[in-house]
Amino acid sequence: MALISTRALTKRYPGGITALDGLSVDIEEGIVGLVGANGAGKSTLIKILLGLVPASDGEARVFGLDAATHGSAIRELVGYMPEHDSLPTDVSATEFVSHMARVSGLPAGAARERTADVLRHVGLYEERYRPIGGYSTGMKQRVKLAQALVHDPRILFLDEPTNGLDPAGRDEMLGLIERIGRDFGMTAIVASHLLGEIERVADWLVAIDAGRLLHTAALSSFTERTGQLLVETEEAGDPLAAALAARGIEAHADGRSVVIELAATRDGDHAVYDAVRDESVALGLPLVRIEHRRHRLEDLFRVAEAAAEGADDRVA
Amino acid sequence: MTASPEAAGTIYDIGFRHYDGPRLGRRGAIAAIVGAGVRAVFGFGRSGRAKILPWGAVVLAMLPAGVAVAIRVLVGDLVELYNYENYLWGIGALLPIFVAAQAPELVVNDMRHHVLPLYFSRPLSRLDYVAAKLAALALGLLSLTLGPVLLLFLGRILAADDVVVGIGDEVAALPAIVGSGLLHAAVLASIGLAISSLAGRRAYAAGAVLAVFLVGGVVSGILAEQGGALLDVAPFTNPLAVLDGVREWLFGGRVADSPVGSSSVPPPLYAVAALLLTAASWTTLALRYRSVTT
Repeated sequence: MALISTRALTKRYPGGITALDGLSVDIEEGIVGLVGANGAGKSTLIKILLGLVPASDGEARVFGLDAATHGSAIRELVGYMPEHDSLPTDVSATEFVSHMARVSGLPAGAARERTADVLRHVGLYEERYRPIGGYSTGMKQRVKLAQALVHDPRILFLDEPTNGLDPAGRDEMLGLIERIGRDFGMTAIVASHLLGEIERVADWLVAIDAGRLLHTAALSSFTERTGQLLVETEEAGDPLAAALAARGIEAHADGRSVVIELAATRDGDHAVYDAVRDESVALGLPLVRIEHRRHRLEDLFRVAEAAAEGADDRVA
Repeated sequence: MTASPEAAGTIYDIGFRHYDGPRLGRRGAIAAIVGAGVRAVFGFGRSGRAKILPWGAVVLAMLPAGVAVAIRVLVGDLVELYNYENYLWGIGALLPIFVAAQAPELVVNDMRHHVLPLYFSRPLSRLDYVAAKLAALALGLLSLTLGPVLLLFLGRILAADDVVVGIGDEVAALPAIVGSGLLHAAVLASIGLAISSLAGRRAYAAGAVLAVFLVGGVVSGILAEQGGALLDVAPFTNPLAVLDGVREWLFGGRVADSPVGSSSVPPPLYAVAALLLTAASWTTLALRYRSVTT
């Protein structure tokens, strides 16, 4: 059974906005990137899973429990880092995080110990005794992460965790998230509109667009080989492409590169490598590199956009 | 900072530890909010300035009890300024001040700084949160509505020539003391929290709470001065007078300077008014917190 699963999950807000439109997805353990443009329904999905907002239709289950009726039991074992500012200003990080640990159900002693631990893990040191009001954005994000982590949840929901951070801060936050997933063994659902960030930390990807599931798969499958070999040369690629084509290898020049369709070659990859070597020697062509082309996450959305535009054109 | 975070990390980092101890769930969550709330009401864990008002009010509320006991010891029961019946009416001015200062402390900042999503993503409901905050304020208020009267009670026992006889004389008043204390604390906490939950800043909330009690008291006084049929209406514009009416109906003992004394409405009407006030406050709170977007 999946850790999280939704069936035909729909959320319509008053005023006619449809945030989720029949979303069905299963999410397993690991670091899961929840990607989509702003307004795609990422935050709404998280809030429904937490039982913070009711769904209009369909079903959402976490740990096999219905989020609509067992919200309290679910919330005991999940942590939530909201997108927006959500910290009081007049208490210290230590005081606040330990209070939140107790509100999560931890006894006082455990709350104190774990607060000290978790603040160190997120990288808050001497400043943790000062009122949060004086913290930088980066420090506040760390406190938000700490309060989501302190009760050792099984699932962490992180909504745009790098919001408002400078590049160095983003880097550190992503490092923390990676650590949480790999070293702490927690499942983290990371909602972000930045593909680069997801590409860096996630091992599974759920892409949603306009409240619908666009795609879900292991991240490796997005970035896996495309079946194309890219040969980059120092001069124009046309002579090499022509020579390879003469040998029956499907290849075309692309500026200073030659793109070879490995899948279309009958004799196997090694024969192609040999042919590239022999022909470039014969042509006296200096090679820069040879690599397997990989998919990139952006391709996914480019395809979706193209499809959407196509649909728009037809309507127009 | 003297040590770099990295250095501190290598020394102290013993890895992330998982927690497999008890989880107290919803009850633990509510208890934590009540506990933190009571601390906040008395300014514990806050600056010294935050303690001045609540503790000042507690001390002022205790003073009459001390004076009453001293008079009793010195001149016997010839003069009786404060007794169990009129005590809460006598310190009446302190109650709205305490509520106005401390109720906003409990709810305004959680709302203003959007902390509520962090609470509501934990094992408690929105109503649990409200109930916990109400309980915290009511418990805090008991330091004014019950503590001083209990002090008077103890003082009168100890001031008696024979303590055993003293206990015998006073103990019959205990249910009325506790009952009135709980009644005042619960109703005033409800009103104060409901008004505070509507304000965007602590100062506005405090002002609004004070205004409601002040205007209510002034209107009540004006109505009482008009005499006639208005005498009967007078107590109902002042929450403290309504509470005095309920107290008198339940436990007896008329307070001379309360508008209840000069009104001739059937006493149960005060209870109805108090219930309506409380119900309106709770409804306000429930609606307010239901509409909070997370």
